Amino acid sequence: MQKGEMYVGWSTKEDVRKRGGSGGLVTSMLAAALEKKMVDAVVVLKKINEFEAVPVITSDVNEVLNSAGSLHSVPSNFAKLIANKNLKVALPAKGCDVRGIIEQSKRNAINLDNTFVVGLNCGGSMHPVVTREMLEVMYKIKPEDVHGEEIEKGKLIFETKDGKEHAITIDELEEKGYGRRESCRYCTIKIPNNADIACGNWGVTGDLVGKATFVEINSEKGARLLQNAIDAGYVQVQKPDEKGVAIRAKIKGTMEGLGKKWKDKVFVPMDNGRLEYFRKELEHCIDCGACKAVCPTCSCGDISKCTEFHYRGDAYKMSMYHLVRFLHLADSCIGCGQCSDVCPVDIPLTRLYRRFANTVQEQLKYEPGMDQRKPPYFEAKLEV
Amino acid sequence: MANVYSTICPGCNFGCGLYVRENGKLEVDFRKSSPANAGKLCRFGMNLPRLYAPVKSMVDGKETTLQEAAKEAAKRLSGSKGSVAFLSFGNITCEEHLAFQKLAESSLYSGVDFEALPKDTYQTLSVGIPYDEIEAAKHIVLFIDPYEQYPLIVRRLLSAKKKGAKITSVWWKDMPLADENIRPADVSKLQLTKDSLVITDFHPLSDVEQIKNVLLLAKNAGARITFLKPFANSTGVYILSKDAKQKSLATLVEDINKGAIKTLFCLESDPVDLIPAETLGKLTNLIVQTGSASAITAKAHVVIAHEPLYKKRGTLINSEGRAQALGGAGTSGLEALGVIAGTKFEFDSLHESVRKALGIAAVDEFTIPKYDRPPYGAIQAAPKPIDTKTALVSIYNPFLWFGLADDNDFVELNLNTARALKLIKGATLKIKSNGSAIEKRFKVAPVQENVLLAGRKFGIEKGMLTPVEISR
Ligand SMILES: Cc1cc2nc3c(=O)[nH]c(=O)nc-3n(C[C@H](O)[C@H](O)[C@H](O)COP(=O)(O)OP(=O)(O)OC[C@H]3O[C@@H](n4cnc5c(N)ncnc54)[C@H](O)[C@@H]3O)c2cc1C
Ligand code: SF4
Ligand code: SF4
Ligand code: SF4
Ligand code: SF4
Repeated sequence: MQKGEMYVGWSTKEDVRKRGGSGGLVTSMLAAALEKKMVDAVVVLKKINEFEAVPVITSDVNEVLNSAGSLHSVPSNFAKLIANKNLKVALPAKGCDVRGIIEQSKRNAINLDNTFVVGLNCGGSMHPVVTREMLEVMYKIKPEDVHGEEIEKGKLIFETKDGKEHAITIDELEEKGYGRRESCRYCTIKIPNNADIACGNWGVTGDLVGKATFVEINSEKGARLLQNAIDAGYVQVQKPDEKGVAIRAKIKGTMEGLGKKWKDKVFVPMDNGRLEYFRKELEHCIDCGACKAVCPTCSCGDISKCTEFHYRGDAYKMSMYHLVRFLHLADSCIGCGQCSDVCPVDIPLTRLYRRFANTVQEQLKYEPGMDQRKPPYFEAKLEV
Repeated sequence: MANVYSTICPGCNFGCGLYVRENGKLEVDFRKSSPANAGKLCRFGMNLPRLYAPVKSMVDGKETTLQEAAKEAAKRLSGSKGSVAFLSFGNITCEEHLAFQKLAESSLYSGVDFEALPKDTYQTLSVGIPYDEIEAAKHIVLFIDPYEQYPLIVRRLLSAKKKGAKITSVWWKDMPLADENIRPADVSKLQLTKDSLVITDFHPLSDVEQIKNVLLLAKNAGARITFLKPFANSTGVYILSKDAKQKSLATLVEDINKGAIKTLFCLESDPVDLIPAETLGKLTNLIVQTGSASAITAKAHVVIAHEPLYKKRGTLINSEGRAQALGGAGTSGLEALGVIAGTKFEFDSLHESVRKALGIAAVDEFTIPKYDRPPYGAIQAAPKPIDTKTALVSIYNPFLWFGLADDNDFVELNLNTARALKLIKGATLKIKSNGSAIEKRFKVAPVQENVLLAGRKFGIEKGMLTPVEISR
């Protein structure tokens, strides 16, 4: 097995395969890594209900096996959880998790040699509170009655406990302000080739649909992870058919195109009033610091530039905290949406950070969280 | 490897859900599905690990077990029968409160002054209005500083505004989210209708005449009114104690000063910043039962250390009346109360009483129990005019209630006041009150002229409003 190879695989444990997001392969691979002592711990989501799960670091193989399944309404990010812990760890990771992990590794807070990153393809995640409201308003079903959920052919389908399926197109949901978080709509990373291995359901064809996971090996570590799971008898794999490979590439392209459209829609260029726009958006900030604490690319501790230049007794029109952060994140924001999620006064922070980041990252031709490249200095730009 | 607890922030009675993770040190994590706050936390919630300073059971400065400390407390309490006060602001679970109420009998001090208010207002004071109703209101009137005091209400207000609500603020400072700002002294200019929803708060330092006045204004206009509260389970304890006699903080101070109270039992309540030091010094016995160390545990003769709130099992009720279960398993708080009361408090039966009182079969954080909202009768209010020429106003926020330091060692004042005093940016302001003088940094803000606002205590305060003299 080596980098670049693709497989279709599944868990040999029937119940894991059944509960898994597609073939239960990810869960089995994580469990095998723990069982065979490739790692000391695994991060999984401990499910509480369809709309809530809490990230846990565990060394319990059963807890890992129990975690199978995709939770689209749990928009967590694992990078900060494992940062500065010096763990030998394996973990599932959406594109934004992977990017956060890579950025933390550049800041010496995560050692990638000891971190096995199992990437998950990601079409987007939803905020649980928004999802609950959407179920009542759009689907007319009680959140408590939801039994399962899947995305198929552009539709978000909820299965209720009575066995019925309820489908609405994602376009319609998003037009009404529901559906995926805003950052997910314009997120550019659909297949996480920056992880050690990328797993998803795109590309699974025929009888295997819903019963297998499509994997692409992106690194030597990824190959080891999969081989270990096969050797341990946890997973089975076969070569994908060409049709599947082509479909996967096509969906990726379509999704990326859709992301660009959303980006154009959200980031309408502003000629005038930029300062006033930012000032107005930040007007209600209560200085809680959650946007910094949650940011998966930030690895500063309590003492950091954005907080050291900031004094709550200052009466600036826009606080130094925000000004420093806009600058500091211009080259490193990965657009994960976490800051918007947690802002207690609902400031659309990701949109604000991306206003800076889009421009800077495009001009510097630098995409954070994709590889080990360090950002070029801003000064280089001044000479252009 | 790391323990994670699903819990509620005790910083105020808003009912914000979060996770506390024990990961070498304590960390907060966002519980995005939490109905009150969608996982969002204010400054205090983000700083919650600081509140949970570890505490140990002690008797007269010597470390001991919870059992031994509780036994010693029982001994001292029975030794001073008739002169004991039981103080609990409401930072405990409903189940613990029921046990505490049995123990306290007629000496229950919840700190708030129900006694000075008409009985038919108790339900209105105790249970507030659901946040989604606030979001749907047409006219919202604020008698609080939402940003400082109950920050998670801000997004609800902004959402209401998006839907077309008008927001009027009655405060010493202009609020960025308000469409109309009225100063407290000009409250007669306030125009309420039956479409108005008044948001104010109720706590141990509330001026009851002001409370009566706001109740009266709402009543006369047919407006709805909701009270926010500063303690984790204020609503729960007020509902459960609605038929009990509850005494105020002012009464407690009076009772200690006149020697009627010699022993004070504080349950998860730190009154160090609220009761004058010389008054506290008059006590023969100070017994504290708590899950975290603070100024009062350092002064106490007996400390009974139960688990911190995030490890507890039990029910909290937030200011909209939402019952929420804490995710821990600990019941050592009940255990200690049992030892003191000479009985055994069973969690399950207490929990059943809680459910019965709420009329619910199970605690479901997503469904707010139905509450009676009885109208209240005419009220006689005689609010004192707020007439101090220059005053320092203490804005009680979660940090202040818990005596935790925050990064706010400054006062806010008006630009004209700063100009009149010829204050220079970066310099300090001299504040004098009754012979004490301090120097503080200042921040220029749209505050009423000659009023200083502060979110922390400087040691010169005489209540929430302190007349002061200021100079450069
Ligand atoms: C939000 C989200 C969106 C997705 N969108 C697509 C898509 O558009 N196209 C596609 O091909 N594949 C998508 N996937 C991946 C797909 O759903 C499966 O996870 C993948 O095929 C692996 O399946 P499996 O059965 O092997 O995984 P499983 O064995 O079910 O293991 C899944 C692992 O992912 C973890 N997990 C579950 N939810 C989350 C979450 N929200 N964040 C982080 N980790 C989580 C679980 O703890 C578990 O460890 C998405 C996954 C998620 C979580
Ligand atoms: S930001 Fe991107 S990778 Fe992260 S959840 Fe959204 S779509 Fe998925
Ligand atoms: S600034 Fe916001 S969107 Fe950007 S990386 Fe940080 S948390 Fe994510
Ligand atoms: S999360 Fe929101 S309120 Fe908190 S500091 Fe950031 S912008 Fe301000
Ligand atoms: S608003 Fe109150 S309950 Fe919510 S995080 Fe702040 S202090 Fe805690």
